[in-house]
Amino acid sequence: MKGMDERDPSVVAKARDGDRDAFKALVELHSRYIYSLAHRMTGNAQDAEDVVQEAWLKAHKQLSRFEARADVRTWLHRITVNCSIDLIRARRHREDAHDPADLEQGPLSERGAEAQPTPERVAASVEISDRVNEALGLLTALERAAFTLRHVEGMSIEEVGAKLGMKTSATKHSIFRAVKKMRVALEPYAQS
Amino acid sequence: MNNHLSEDELILHSYGEVDRADRSRVDEHLASCAECLLAKEKLARVMTMIDTAPPVEAPLGFERTVWARLEPYLEVPGVSPVHRSASKVYDLVFGKTAREGGWLPQWALAGGVAALVIAAFVAGRFSGGDLAAPSSAAVAHVEPDRVLQSAVGDHLDRTQMMLVELANAEVDGADVLAGEQARAGDLVAANRVILRSAIQSGDGQVVDILEDLERVLLEVANAPANATSNDLTDLQSRITREDLLFRLRVIASEMRQRQIDDREAGDPTRRKMPTS
Ligand SMILES: [Zn+2]
Repeated sequence: MKGMDERDPSVVAKARDGDRDAFKALVELHSRYIYSLAHRMTGNAQDAEDVVQEAWLKAHKQLSRFEARADVRTWLHRITVNCSIDLIRARRHREDAHDPADLEQGPLSERGAEAQPTPERVAASVEISDRVNEALGLLTALERAAFTLRHVEGMSIEEVGAKLGMKTSATKHSIFRAVKKMRVALEPYAQS
Repeated sequence: MNNHLSEDELILHSYGEVDRADRSRVDEHLASCAECLLAKEKLARVMTMIDTAPPVEAPLGFERTVWARLEPYLEVPGVSPVHRSASKVYDLVFGKTAREGGWLPQWALAGGVAALVIAAFVAGRFSGGDLAAPSSAAVAHVEPDRVLQSAVGDHLDRTQMMLVELANAEVDGADVLAGEQARAGDLVAANRVILRSAIQSGDGQVVDILEDLERVLLEVANAPANATSNDLTDLQSRITREDLLFRLRVIASEMRQRQIDDREAGDPTRRKMPTS
């Protein structure tokens, strides 16, 4: 993934100068990465698409302040995480309504069409991906946000709390609840 | 040794975040207890499963869809009526050159947040709290934009932070309410200053959220000394039902983001953006 960024510096410079085609090139180069990241944070296709849109709008606004020597991917990553946190809260009602029974009912219909498995991908890994995404769907918005920032983004619990505006103890409990739900949902499928 | 480790402890251990005071006890227990070691390994297997799940790929042709959806929003067509009226009020208070200098964000004018900024300016400062210092008249004269945005942003952030804590408080922790009362009282006062101005400027969306916020803040501020866990649960369900956190966060995060942008940027370069 990182290798693609080598093509960026001149494109970024042009985009900063208002070159619409250069910005388009950035969008085409990085949107898939942003989508995967947003999907990991939000757990569903619609939210991920919204985050991609929002992230690019933010990036466009901030482009003139982007340091030429900084890494575009890192910059976009940060914007995407922030946009995801905003949107995760927007979807809170729906997620709170999720019932553990969802897991028995198989993949949510909206998720079925999006996976687009590449031919070389083995069925097993697709299944793992689905299971993990379904398990993520069992978490409340805050649990998911706290868990993802700790587990996937590798922030310390204290940093996660600062990011979400929560006390460290409340953050800890959100993460505990999240991991327990994930463990219960995934343990039957986790092989040694 | 039958004092097994809790799942919480195992989770903290897997993240390397066991408190210093507990570390040797946890390590020693794991070294000597097969049961806990097994539990730790099961947890690690689940963690690995999460880590190794392939990322969900975007649908084919996604990049093109993104661009098609995005491009129209990169243009800023005309100035909306809301924008115009907010600009007018703003000009009366700060003068036209200040606005045209570009230091008040476009979205703020369009979204009615200008009204909040003006409210904060007219009010001089919020009651109590640490806002008094940065809003001193001298500072406000030099850089009114950043100081005022920061004051309103602080209010929204602090309100949000309190609601998040309430929403996440354990249900058996009704004493959370007692602890938050003084804080809620300060926030009510600040909220009213902003609300008054928002009503005057006729910004319905901002009025709505501020009114909802005030009701919740008042409930916290006036909670009886013997508040029960039911009181807390009621409050929590209201915070969720009215989607207060999200609505608040939208305003606050836009405000913060813009502040950061403005601080990081030289304003002249902003004017070159295709959007403006
Ligand atoms: Zn044990």
